Amino acid sequence: MSSGAGRIRLIFGQPSSLASDPRTSGLSVRPGQPTMMPMDHKLPIQQAKSDGTIASVLLKVEPAPSVSSLYLHIPFCFHKCHYCDFYSLANTNHEDFVGFVARMGQELEAAGRYLSRPLDTLYIGGGTPTLLGPDLWRSLIRHIHSHVHLAPDTEWTVEANPETVTPDLMAVLAAGGVNRVSIGCQTFSPTHLKTLERWHEPSSVVAAVESARDAGIENISLDLIYAIPGQTLGQWEDDLSQALALHPQHLSCYALTFEPGTPLAVKLSRGLIDTADADLEADMFTLTRRLLIDSGFCAYEVSNFARAGRESRHNLAYWLNMDWMACGPSASGHVAGIRWKNRASLSEYLHTSTPWPTITDLEMPQPARALAERLMMGLRLARGLPYESLLADAEAIGARVSFVAALGPLIDAEHVIVDQHKHLCLTEQGLLLADSVFRQLMSAVFDPNC
Amino acid sequence: MHIRNFSIIAHIDHGKSTLADRLLQITHAVSDREARAQLLDSMDLERERGITIKASAVTVYHEYKGERYELNFIDTPGHVDFHYEVSRALTACDGAILVVDSTQGVQAQTVANAYLAVDNSLELLPVLNKTDLPGSMPDDVAMEIEQVLGLPAEDCMRCSAKTGEGILELLDALCVRFPPPRDSVINETRCLIFDAIYDDYRGIIVFIRVFDGTLRVGDRMRMMSSGRTWNVTELGRYTPKATKVGELNTGEVGYLIASIKTLDDVRIGDTVTLDAHPAAEALPGYQEPLRMVFCEFYPSSSGEKGAEFETLREAIHKLHLNDASFTFEPHHSEALGFGFRCGFLGMLHMQIVQERLEREGGVDVVQTPPTVPYEILLRDDKVLLINNPADLPDMSHVAEIREPIVRIEIICPNESIGDVMKLCDSRRGMYKSQKFLSDTRQILDYEVPLAEIIYDFYDKLKSITRGYGTMDWELIGYRSDRLVKLQILVNGQTVEALSVICHRDTAEQRGRRLLIKLRRQIERHQFEIPLQAAIGGKVIARETIKAVRKNVTAKCYGGDVTRKRKLLEKQKEGKKRMKMVGNVQISQEAFMTVLESGEE
Repeated sequence: MSSGAGRIRLIFGQPSSLASDPRTSGLSVRPGQPTMMPMDHKLPIQQAKSDGTIASVLLKVEPAPSVSSLYLHIPFCFHKCHYCDFYSLANTNHEDFVGFVARMGQELEAAGRYLSRPLDTLYIGGGTPTLLGPDLWRSLIRHIHSHVHLAPDTEWTVEANPETVTPDLMAVLAAGGVNRVSIGCQTFSPTHLKTLERWHEPSSVVAAVESARDAGIENISLDLIYAIPGQTLGQWEDDLSQALALHPQHLSCYALTFEPGTPLAVKLSRGLIDTADADLEADMFTLTRRLLIDSGFCAYEVSNFARAGRESRHNLAYWLNMDWMACGPSASGHVAGIRWKNRASLSEYLHTSTPWPTITDLEMPQPARALAERLMMGLRLARGLPYESLLADAEAIGARVSFVAALGPLIDAEHVIVDQHKHLCLTEQGLLLADSVFRQLMSAVFDPNC
Repeated sequence: MHIRNFSIIAHIDHGKSTLADRLLQITHAVSDREARAQLLDSMDLERERGITIKASAVTVYHEYKGERYELNFIDTPGHVDFHYEVSRALTACDGAILVVDSTQGVQAQTVANAYLAVDNSLELLPVLNKTDLPGSMPDDVAMEIEQVLGLPAEDCMRCSAKTGEGILELLDALCVRFPPPRDSVINETRCLIFDAIYDDYRGIIVFIRVFDGTLRVGDRMRMMSSGRTWNVTELGRYTPKATKVGELNTGEVGYLIASIKTLDDVRIGDTVTLDAHPAAEALPGYQEPLRMVFCEFYPSSSGEKGAEFETLREAIHKLHLNDASFTFEPHHSEALGFGFRCGFLGMLHMQIVQERLEREGGVDVVQTPPTVPYEILLRDDKVLLINNPADLPDMSHVAEIREPIVRIEIICPNESIGDVMKLCDSRRGMYKSQKFLSDTRQILDYEVPLAEIIYDFYDKLKSITRGYGTMDWELIGYRSDRLVKLQILVNGQTVEALSVICHRDTAEQRGRRLLIKLRRQIERHQFEIPLQAAIGGKVIARETIKAVRKNVTAKCYGGDVTRKRKLLEKQKEGKKRMKMVGNVQISQEAFMTVLESGEE
């Protein structure tokens, strides 16, 4: 589902700094698990060609990684929404679906060797995973159970587009072990749905939530988009109220982003639509937080809100820079400090001779980059990051002085604080200007002499 | 042997350089292959802009009626900013070929250059070029020449420098129609310096015309304006390859090399004489080149501090070796840091220098808006010449501010006359005269404050006349007016580079308009930025740039890490051509907004 919050990928391995943090208790932590890849690991730099597979890279990692999160990407949609830049195909048929599910079975079998038992989180995103009907889902679930070990407390999320949700399908998912659905709702206004080229009826969201609940899936997340061209503050408040009326456990509220290459970005560049006023967008952001916090949600990430204990454990793995495996075309993985992305090509995926897809954008471990990413992702969380451990990471790459120097003005400007848990966090004000804060901290890490 | 010293003068792009090449080719001075490139223009930039910045002199030989002629032709700069250089080059000549594009007709610099030639008592030989083109109207253009310059239409020659048609006839004609150089009028040696260039290998090469006596290798020469002396180590002619000679005699043109270190030691228009037997009086006409446009160059904020300034300093020094006609001095501005304040002959000259600094010097330069010099009459009757509004003394000491006034001559099609006059009026122009050039075009004369035309006037003229309007300008003096300094404050700090001296009647309106433009040009920062315009300490307009309230990536999940990280890294690199004023980042475009007078 194109809008989806959690898209991609899977998790395992954790930064050591988390292991002792009670606030990460939702995540399984195994003793002795490798944290961020130490640099003296022997890694196959030479083999790191982007036309290979991740298997050849992971083979050389000692000890063999054991990853506790997994992301599966289902690259099919009934129709491409105009703001979406995820890899997904609309002009596909049932045959493609059948071939894809079988193919993913092969990839899961191969990936299984790197997955810990049981898995902590499993996330199936897209595309529109729910476009596969009940039969194909049964078959996909069979593949998953054959190669991936799940526990009762494994968080298993499936992204769903409301118009594809049926009571039958929800029953199949629930029976298979799915315990969380993330529904792409976006807005309840038919006008704004049209702007986004979302083809569902607002009422189908209500029906989808009911179907999931009836099937026994209680943990429901809704995705919403604001700052849609023409949308007023009042209309957005109305969207939020309607979403709250469905009693979700989790909400993801995103300011509309004009991703390069999407039809919406093209319309913008041609002057056919205009972005929302910058001040209005800021007002919407602030309103969202106030209203959802008042309604009992925890604003645990920039755009994510949860009832107590209902944070997305899978997405937390991303924000905490932990490890996850990734299967399916265009899915991105992160294991032992290595990042990669499977090639975004269904036809290639269906016809490779190995079970592993070919990859692009391979990045081998690099401590400064790892720290920059840790900051950029982790500070999005309300809980922030353990300050001492950040200092230790900076120290290790000779950037402690510049990091502390960069923090000074940010603390003075009240953009960041070190809280009573000794965590470095963005303030409410800093949150609004997070990108600028990240930029300053990242450049201190990348270029300690600046 | 007969000698003919002549120049080719023309409006820009009327084919002067092509004609020069063709002359070299037909006299076998260069091969056909070499002739493909325009030999006399050596810099890339000149070629790209199709203009000649520096003059050179080339000697070729031609046989006419069995007699051998030494033809020295002196190339002149083709743009309005180089008036003085053109006039010095013309002084070295006895005749001038006036090239007019037969598809375009007489243009502003055709007229200006023709008058310069006449002022120097040169014989004019009008040539209608580009007769091979379909749009050629040689008869009409010949009539224009007769009408405007008083040269009989039937005297105009016709040629196509491109195809070579008419070139031989032209060579013959100039042997006949141009007078030979005059004989010595005094016994001492006098040579006119009409150009000098810096050569990486050979140092300074000085181009001279010998008016009296003889100059020999080994002579101790003296520059009459400075009194400095050097030994002449080499004399020669460019044919166009350098060909050494032992001496240059009366009437001849050539180059001299005398281990002169910098172009600052050579003044165009100066007279060279012999140290042992100096002339009593220099040749007439020498002037200090007038710098009429000033601006500051600063290294942009993108690079490392300090290092960028050093790079800029080196680049300016190096460029100055090649072009002594601009001045520079280190300058420190509260708002912008360390840079250079530079003086130029005109706007084009300024742009050329800026481009060459960036292209040849590899520095990223922020340029402040150009200003003109002002004469300040103080209450104690002293007169102060300032070239920077920042240097304006406290107004309680100022009796008068006088600004440079130029006479502009505009040639444009009849149908644009109304709009052009409106444009001149809006720039405080004073109408002088209007003449018909032909049935379709007219010449307009105005007197205008230089400050009003240094930025966008020429572009506006071009657009009003759909490209057909041309213009020339000449300084006629300084005139007092009700002028005030309009100061701009960004975030409470006066930015002198944004300050302008303007007319009191329009100052407030201009201040308001300027702030609105500035507000659009300066990006939102994390804090609110007040913009103020003030006259004499009194704020007359105010605008506010609101603070950025939200700058946070909405979605960032596992698949986004690499791309979002790279996006953030790219943004942190900082933008080119930006300058920090206090804690506000101002772009080059924003600086230039102060210059766009008039219309929204």
